[in-house]
Amino acid sequence: MSLFIERMVNGLADGSIYALLALALVVVFRSTGQLNFAQGEIGTFGAFVVSTLTLSGLPVWLSILLAMGVGFVVSAGVERVVVRPIEHRNPGAVIVALIGVFLAVNQLVSMIWGIDARPLPSIFPDEADSFVTVFGAPVRIARLGTIGVLIVVLVLLWLLFTKTKLGLAMRAVANNQDSSNLVGIRVGTVLLFGWGLAGAIGVLAAALLAPSAGLSGTLMLGPFLLASVAAVLGGLDSPIGAVVGGLLIGVTEAFIVGYVDFLGADMLFPVMLVILLAVLLLRPSGLFGSERVERV
Amino acid sequence: MNVPLRFTKGSWQNWAGRLVLFGGVGLFMYRAVNEWSRSGLGLLVDAMIIAIAVTGLNLITGYTGQLSLGHAAFFAIGAFTSATLVTGKIWTPFLDDNIWTPGWTLLASAVVCFLVGMVVGIPALRLKGIYLALVTLVFTEAVRAIFKYDEFSGVTGGATGIKGFNYLPPSWTGLDGRADLVTWFFYLTLAILVVVSILSAGLIRSRIGRAMVAVRDNETAAAVMGVNLFTTKTLVFGLSGAIAGVAGSLYALKLTLVEADVPLFGLFGSVTLLVALVVGGAAQNWGPFVGAMFYVFVNDYARSVGEDPSSSLLLGWFVDSGTTINGLGGVTFGVMLILFARFVPFGAVGTMRMWRSKVVQVVPRPPIPAAAAPEAGAAAPTLEQGHNDPDATTQPAASFGNADSSSLGDDEDAS
Amino acid sequence: MSSGSLLHVSGLSAGYGPIEVLHQIDFTVGEGEIVVILGANGAGKTTTMRALSGMIGRQGTVEYAGNDISGAKPDAILRAGISQVPQGRGTFTDLTVDDNLRAGGYTVKGSIDDDLERWYAQFPRLSERRDQKAGSLSGGEQQMLAVARAMMPKPKLLLCDEPSLGLAPLITQELFKVLGSLRDEHGMSLLIVEQNAGMSLAIADRAYVLETGNVVATGTGAELLADDTIKEAYLGVVN
Repeated sequence: MSLFIERMVNGLADGSIYALLALALVVVFRSTGQLNFAQGEIGTFGAFVVSTLTLSGLPVWLSILLAMGVGFVVSAGVERVVVRPIEHRNPGAVIVALIGVFLAVNQLVSMIWGIDARPLPSIFPDEADSFVTVFGAPVRIARLGTIGVLIVVLVLLWLLFTKTKLGLAMRAVANNQDSSNLVGIRVGTVLLFGWGLAGAIGVLAAALLAPSAGLSGTLMLGPFLLASVAAVLGGLDSPIGAVVGGLLIGVTEAFIVGYVDFLGADMLFPVMLVILLAVLLLRPSGLFGSERVERV
Repeated sequence: MNVPLRFTKGSWQNWAGRLVLFGGVGLFMYRAVNEWSRSGLGLLVDAMIIAIAVTGLNLITGYTGQLSLGHAAFFAIGAFTSATLVTGKIWTPFLDDNIWTPGWTLLASAVVCFLVGMVVGIPALRLKGIYLALVTLVFTEAVRAIFKYDEFSGVTGGATGIKGFNYLPPSWTGLDGRADLVTWFFYLTLAILVVVSILSAGLIRSRIGRAMVAVRDNETAAAVMGVNLFTTKTLVFGLSGAIAGVAGSLYALKLTLVEADVPLFGLFGSVTLLVALVVGGAAQNWGPFVGAMFYVFVNDYARSVGEDPSSSLLLGWFVDSGTTINGLGGVTFGVMLILFARFVPFGAVGTMRMWRSKVVQVVPRPPIPAAAAPEAGAAAPTLEQGHNDPDATTQPAASFGNADSSSLGDDEDAS
Repeated sequence: MSSGSLLHVSGLSAGYGPIEVLHQIDFTVGEGEIVVILGANGAGKTTTMRALSGMIGRQGTVEYAGNDISGAKPDAILRAGISQVPQGRGTFTDLTVDDNLRAGGYTVKGSIDDDLERWYAQFPRLSERRDQKAGSLSGGEQQMLAVARAMMPKPKLLLCDEPSLGLAPLITQELFKVLGSLRDEHGMSLLIVEQNAGMSLAIADRAYVLETGNVVATGTGAELLADDTIKEAYLGVVN
């Protein structure tokens, strides 16, 4: 039983990281209809920034906030400089450009910080004895903290979207850009903000993952892939779906590795494929996604 | 629209233009095989192998509009099929093990990947756009995981893979074993590339080709007009997978080893193929070749700049000889991709055609009245993109079956 | 050059890419007037609307309340006092009725709650459905919503793009009554582009006829309604 709890918490903690990343992907997809291939790498970049800042003496929480700001700027910059001009001409070419950003940022990281892995301090107490007992199982505080961060972010996002004018504008732009223009919303600015927000969330996810996974250039490669699966599973235009998808995948991963002996960790993707197919064949737009009505 | 030059398809000018194009490429190939170094030639072979795979991807993604990030899986399956058959790891009933010379394995790969491709095509009936793309991506990684799986290592070699199967040029070629291996691969790959391209071009001009484009442009409308979505999607997925599988076989034979962790067998591979497709020009006959060449050679250039920055024109100003900058090659390539997508958004071939169409226009022959005439200019299936010219005026054909396919394929009119 | 009219358009050309749809057209809208631009499909009605709201590139002069807004951006035009009810309603289908109205009031500084209540009072059916998603409303209700949304920033000139499109005749009647009342009770100016000649000309003060990007006729609403060519072309009356 205690093993179950431990695995569950670990799964939820990793799942929270995927959920955050998936949320970032959904925010971008809702407003621009694109999957930001470079989302993970911008996160990695931000995590390295956190490392540099903490090494120069700043407290961890401040470093993370500043790095989130960097992620915001970089991501918004990508939207303005890379995505917007290309989307104008040929939306199909945007994915190639984003792959280019992915590669450039990924390699830029090794250019600036080298290729060696380095440790990153956690924002939570992370000593050998930093754990609490839940129903007899030892649960690391850092893990619980990660889940807590997800909850906080969700609450903040909910407030943003439902209670602020900016949030209303974002929802309007995601639904109908033309009409948004007509009511005076500056669509370009809103898109910029959406991408920026996604970038900041991505950095947060990376900063939460790095302390346990180790900070290296490949930090977000796997998580990005899993987060994309999570976003699709939940429905690319549904924030709730992103969270549910992320947690689901995190827990599945934890249990496959732990319980299903004959499969082992490597078989994660075949299992993922089965789950994905099972869900999507029943609901082609994801668990919570909305069907798009096509006029002929 | 008035353009300086205007000639009809099938006219001598048209043929002259094609001759120049093929002549140029032929000359390039001739010089390559005779003058290039072994490593340079090897790079060219890699480019052609990728071009074959991208030709397959072009069919399903470029022409039928189903975004596939799963073609690395077919590539891998083809590679492993060849490897396991050649090394006798798979027992083939009714067939003598010795018949599995590398050549026959290509056929086997094609068949296997065709079947797998058709199965993959089934979800495509339900899923759209990015949802389908992601499922195919997961499929790629799932296939790779299966190849890596320990329990199957008897067949697939598990984590270590299968190594050391030798493929020497057959005696009839008169080539000398090891030394001329690259040369043999050059001719073999070139031949297969040409065959596959011709088949692909022929498919596009057929009824199935029209169905493909109809599905890409508007599925619902296509279905309503009688296009069978099921057969179209599964068939094309099968064909495109088969072609990618053959490319994978070639890759395995050239590499003389396969293992699950080869980059081209996973996410990286699928992305590579897609990038090559878009960069070359989707839904263009020459697109895959140009895109693959760009990818392989520019990547190589970027890598060499990364290794020795002082040798590049731009960076040589700032960097002394002997210093290396980590990751520079990757950054360079990434930036180049971005610039390419920005300034050449319809791919090299697509954009060149746009420019060309401001100067030259190829018009279909006027319909021959009375007796139904065979499709004008279709005598020699060609790799040339004339028949997909977006500016060709569509004139009413004499009989419906011969409707010129000039409106197919490319919808990237200057906008 | 202000000639007393609220909106003065001269030499307006607009199109999409290399295709020019409007060929240097002229028209005006006075204060407290309803002006109708009649046109068949492809005449350039929606292009005119999009040009006036700054959504597409255009050439020519557009003067509003004495100011030149020829090259202005959409949000500047809105703040100047021109609001549009787009073709096909253009409601934010995923947002609630309430959110739709709030979006309409995006450019308004300060609290818009009073304005909201005002429009809820004018359209009781919207009030009943204020927490429903706009996409679930009927066509007529969505049209009312689109009008109310466009009115939130208290514009002086309302542009309506084919308001009757896709609506049943009874609903259309009700709609035009509402549009008429905007002029009569609130002193607003309206520019309506329509295919539906009968109902729109009935409330029009003046009207223009647009054919493939050119203005081919103009007159008062009554004049055009009585005109035989108009009757044949747009009202299906065969003489």
